[in-house]
Amino acid sequence: MRRLLSLCIVIILMTALTGSNAYSKNVMLPTSVTNEGTPIKGGILKVGIVKDEPFQGVFLAELYENRYDAAIMGYASNSIFEMDGDFLINDEGIAFMDVDQKENKVTITIREGVRWSDGEPLKIEDLILPYEIIAHPDYTGVRYDTEFKNIIGVEEYHEGKTDTISGIQKIDDRTLEIRFKKLSPAIFSGGDGLWTYAAPSHQLKGIPVKKLIESDAVRKNPVTLGPFKFHKIVPGESVQFVKNPYYWKGEPKLDGVFVEVVPSSSVSVAIGSGKYDIVTGFSATKWPEIQKYDNIDILGRSELYYSYLGFKLGKWDPKTREVVTDLNSTPVGDQALRQAMGYALDVEAVCEVLFFNFRQRANSLIPPAFKTYHDASLKGYTYDPEKAKKILDKAGYIDIDGDGFREDPKGNKLEIKFATMAGDTIQDEIAAYYLQNWRDVGLNVTLTNGRPIEVNAFYDKVEADDPDIHVFMAAWGTGTNPSPSGLYGKSDAFNFSRFTSKFLEETIQKIDSPEAFDQSYRAEQFRIWQQYMAEKAPVIPLQFSYEIVPVNKRVKYYSIDYENPVELHEIELLEK
Amino acid sequence: MRRKKKGYRKKGRNVVFREFQKDKIATISLFLLVFFILFVFIASLFIDQEALMRINLYDRYSPPGEKFLLGTDQGGKDILGQLIIGARNSILIALAITLLTSLIGIVVGLICGYFGGWIDNIIMRIIDFFVTIPSLLFIIVFVTLVPKYTVTSFILIMSLFLWTGTARLVRSKALSESKRDYVSASKTLGTSDFVIIRREVAPNLSSLLIVEMTLNFAGNVGIETGLSYLGFGLPPTTPSLGTLVSYANNPAVLQQYWWVWLPASLVILFMMLAINYIGQALRRSVDVKQRLG
Repeated sequence: MRRLLSLCIVIILMTALTGSNAYSKNVMLPTSVTNEGTPIKGGILKVGIVKDEPFQGVFLAELYENRYDAAIMGYASNSIFEMDGDFLINDEGIAFMDVDQKENKVTITIREGVRWSDGEPLKIEDLILPYEIIAHPDYTGVRYDTEFKNIIGVEEYHEGKTDTISGIQKIDDRTLEIRFKKLSPAIFSGGDGLWTYAAPSHQLKGIPVKKLIESDAVRKNPVTLGPFKFHKIVPGESVQFVKNPYYWKGEPKLDGVFVEVVPSSSVSVAIGSGKYDIVTGFSATKWPEIQKYDNIDILGRSELYYSYLGFKLGKWDPKTREVVTDLNSTPVGDQALRQAMGYALDVEAVCEVLFFNFRQRANSLIPPAFKTYHDASLKGYTYDPEKAKKILDKAGYIDIDGDGFREDPKGNKLEIKFATMAGDTIQDEIAAYYLQNWRDVGLNVTLTNGRPIEVNAFYDKVEADDPDIHVFMAAWGTGTNPSPSGLYGKSDAFNFSRFTSKFLEETIQKIDSPEAFDQSYRAEQFRIWQQYMAEKAPVIPLQFSYEIVPVNKRVKYYSIDYENPVELHEIELLEK
Repeated sequence: MRRKKKGYRKKGRNVVFREFQKDKIATISLFLLVFFILFVFIASLFIDQEALMRINLYDRYSPPGEKFLLGTDQGGKDILGQLIIGARNSILIALAITLLTSLIGIVVGLICGYFGGWIDNIIMRIIDFFVTIPSLLFIIVFVTLVPKYTVTSFILIMSLFLWTGTARLVRSKALSESKRDYVSASKTLGTSDFVIIRREVAPNLSSLLIVEMTLNFAGNVGIETGLSYLGFGLPPTTPSLGTLVSYANNPAVLQQYWWVWLPASLVILFMMLAINYIGQALRRSVDVKQRLG
């Protein structure tokens, strides 16, 4: 479950989080809505996903890389666990687990009689297969990370030494045992390498891992455990789901769901005309445009998500699969310069004017929804151009030749390349505004390629450590496990800033160590980590975000509450 | 010969004058356009472009009023200032493109038309090649590939494709002109080809060229704004009428914030119409059959 969100490669304008008291001064929106009326029998729920490009259409939890595919897959999820409001795995899902802290092992038991959408029963092999896919030598995805290696035998399997993963054992037809090198509290939220999805082994078994991503089983007719199953996929445009008669919680009340990509420029009008029952990925920046419609309710929740400014401080070594930090080969290697760039940004005005305070300036890399771990005392990089100028002066960045831009301490011209994603016009505006902020403190920051980069190309470039990117603006869904491993560890491909150090690595390990079963110890390590990251500034958090979801009055009951989300199979539509 | 040409010129000027007298709309257009261009160029001297293009979020979408005469756009930038600079840019770009393409077109056209034969053949095939290229797509790809493109490179790219029309027109006229007796006579007298082309053939095409250039000018204003509208024109830091109009792509802007796109659209409409009316009047004065007066 953690990965479901953590992988979300995200546009800043996207989706969102749990309400509670995190943002007291904000407009608070309800998290659920009930509409009166007579429900119709069946019906098709029309869902719009706001996105300006085609979706990729990789419908397998082990392989997909962006949140749009994840959002679409939400209707046909292979997730085997369910989580409570604190993002901890409970016993109400398809499977439940028993954690043995002393023996470092987890026993997973699946319910009886659960079937895939093609009628095949769910087997223990279906739970083992995802591990064998991710750890496979031919696997090119991003999920083979530090955390994953925590399972005993995974590394040997990955090197091709063994045919099976020694730490994963089938006990009987309903029980699976997984042994770990060490266990931490992250296990309860699906971390530590535990995989929370099943994969249909009867469908995927014969397909080589290398070919998986292009196979029909992933692209055209995936089999699923979710309430709906894929019926027709128009690549990049829309997906037609029909109900899954074998759904383990009972047959869905709807006949199906139609999910369609809708461009951000026309989504507001489409909502007003009632074209969609639910719209996900709706940007808070467009809130005033739909606020006046009376055919919808607007729900909201804070998001486990932060946008950030990342500095490229090294390279990814594909051979060793490790981050190599090299502060000298990049113009942003100087910590003072990075800090100054953080202080120079007027994130507050962007939040207030463009996001109507639905977003807040982020002070740390842990969203405040994680109350125990979020360090509220951290000040973060508040807008303070004078301070930025002082830091730069002190660090030796001074305008020598009088062209209005500062040179680096050695007297060379300093040009910092900034990569940003092309999104709606607001995106471009924010990028332009930040460039202006930096120019105001005398830094010559220019856009990589001269313009915002299309989303898919952007992440390709960032992942490939394009030498033309010194700074980039991106976002992470933290998922339900706030642990920094997976995003900031030494062998994490997602560590996009390519920053690592001995201290950082140790702290991350402490956060997920056995001692961390003690809440206060873990919280303390989290605090140390947040402060270290704030000081070194390889990544500067920009905004915490809030998701708003317009729901048409045609929908009988809908809820996005984390504790009490709507059961997809129980959604009903009302007569007009 | 010299005297004859003088007489022709004088007569030509009278014809143009009469043509404008007969066409009230063209006259008004001429006055308004001259006034507008003067205003834009003088006013833009007093505007600091860098300050104008500063984003000021708190002034976002201010309606027309006291602080901003014509309101502001989504970045809190003054619309009036952008209109003035944008119009100036459009006019300058269109002018540069027109002059550049006309120059190339006239030279190439004259050479083709005058010499004929294999020179004509080769150059015409090259022109054909340029005409068959889908220039708009080509320009868009080019603009996307060049990482740092400026107003100058924009002008050059545009000119690369737009000179062929003029070249063809000039060639056809020069072809018939070079068969005339006065050219043959000049040749027999031993005048060099260059002198014949420059001093004898070219002046006889001048009236036609003025009309052609005027109408091209109107078209070129449209091309800059059109491409900027599509997002392939001027860089976003340069004010442009096309960029202002393109904000209307957002339905909310189209409906609620009319002051962002409407003035720019009107300015474009006005410039196009005015230049076209003037061009029409000029064309009529060149062509005896169409004359009103």
